[in-house]
Amino acid sequence: MKTRVVGSVALLAVIAAAIFGLFVVPADLNQGDAQRVMYVHVGSAWLGELSFGLAALAGLGYLWRRDLRFDALAHSAVEVGVLFTAFAIWGGMMWGKPVWGVFWQWEDPRLATTALLLALGVGYLLLRRLSDDPARRASRAAVVGLIAGLDIPIIHFSVVWWRGLHQGFTIGDPGKVLHPSAPLQFVAALLGMLAAFTLTWTWLMIRRYQLARLESQIEDDVRMSRINAARGAATTSTGPSTEPEPAR
Amino acid sequence: MTDVGYVIAGYGVILGGIVVYVALLLRRLRVAREALRRDADATPPDATPPDARR
Amino acid sequence: MSELRRGLAVALAIARKDATSELRGRQAAGSTLFFAAIVLLLFGFALGPDAQRLAQAVPGLLWLAIVFGGLLTMARLHQLEAEDGALEQLALYPVDRRAIYAGKALAGAAAMLVLGGLLVPVVAVLYAVPVGAGWLPLLAAVVLGAIGFAAVGTAYAGLTVRMRAREVMLPLLMLPIVAPLLLAAVKVTVTALGGDPFGEQWAWLQLLAGFDVIMLVVGAGTYGFLLEE
Repeated sequence: MKTRVVGSVALLAVIAAAIFGLFVVPADLNQGDAQRVMYVHVGSAWLGELSFGLAALAGLGYLWRRDLRFDALAHSAVEVGVLFTAFAIWGGMMWGKPVWGVFWQWEDPRLATTALLLALGVGYLLLRRLSDDPARRASRAAVVGLIAGLDIPIIHFSVVWWRGLHQGFTIGDPGKVLHPSAPLQFVAALLGMLAAFTLTWTWLMIRRYQLARLESQIEDDVRMSRINAARGAATTSTGPSTEPEPAR
Repeated sequence: MTDVGYVIAGYGVILGGIVVYVALLLRRLRVAREALRRDADATPPDATPPDARR
Repeated sequence: MSELRRGLAVALAIARKDATSELRGRQAAGSTLFFAAIVLLLFGFALGPDAQRLAQAVPGLLWLAIVFGGLLTMARLHQLEAEDGALEQLALYPVDRRAIYAGKALAGAAAMLVLGGLLVPVVAVLYAVPVGAGWLPLLAAVVLGAIGFAAVGTAYAGLTVRMRAREVMLPLLMLPIVAPLLLAAVKVTVTALGGDPFGEQWAWLQLLAGFDVIMLVVGAGTYGFLLEE
């Protein structure tokens, strides 16, 4: 029930922030309407990073406690993270074409590093698909998620160095830099969309986690029924044995 | 394409993408719940009960 | 303290064992080196024939060849044990997992060092690049790069060695992780070979070192979980 409330509020917030960013806030003096894309681009990038950070921590939690709920949380976080990272790249490209003149460039490598994040997330999801045993899958995923999570700040540092050491970009119109008199409304629009996105993310995480737990249960049931079938075929007694199975 | 076109493409794909993901997520949840209900119905009364969830 | 000494002894024993198999199975290690050299050759066909363009690309080409060769190397170091079931045996020994990791990472770093060290003269000849004065930072880059790549590779090879589609999963998982290492190593190589107008070499070397430390710590910490499957 509370989740529904979160969801409804999130929906309204996103609509409100979108209307604000698209129609109420003025266009930037230099970048024009293209600047509006930033509101959803930055929001998506933020959610991507938040998700992967959470996934790394959840993975650590699983390695520490061996509780599959941590694994479900990590899986959910990465899936949602990949979604928003993909959005961030798309937003970056939709902003880049009008402002830089190209969809992609390498002098400001932030788009490329976001693509790296996407690759890390997709790798994680593929890894999960190739493992069947829940405990093994959870261990592998946790290690990959943890290493990937630690790599993210390293990637950011390398970008800071990469950009900071080469002043003066040659791509794009220097006149297209965000006008210094960017009004407070820009900040408000950005923060508003960030808040709305974060609410949406919360709802998505709750639902995706619920799904992960259900799927885990289904997986267990399938395995139990296979074990029971094998037992039923092997033994001649009327009922299956009642030895407890190690739930792994 | 004018700048406005890119803005529409940007917002459209991102916000639309969220909507699509939400729809898919809700459907997956529904499918999963039904699957569990079917499993529960199908389980014969004397079978081993499901393990306690960790 | 004897705990530490025992751990070191185990690590060295494992490293020595791996080094021995590498030297004995000479064909495998040699083949990898040859493969990397062919890759370097192919770059010439793909990017040539303008000498200036090639010269500019050399640092990147060198490190790409090291990375591709490195992927094969890291996979190979785990494969032999996996095939013989020795990995399970290793997991049964009551020895600190970190020592096992350290041993394998050490062997991996050594193999990478040999790979990198032998590819530098190949590059120097193929693309007429004088190494000369910049040999020290270049050496540092190769050493730090070898350590970092082996640190990540040991963990990921241990992870993927018994998986389906392991041939593609190892590169797929590793390449995004080592992207900063690749970047930093190339930057150091660029400044080593062509001068350092922005004074950035030290920053990149620090990034390499930081990467190595972080990955070694995480690798050692998590390797145990990957063995006990």
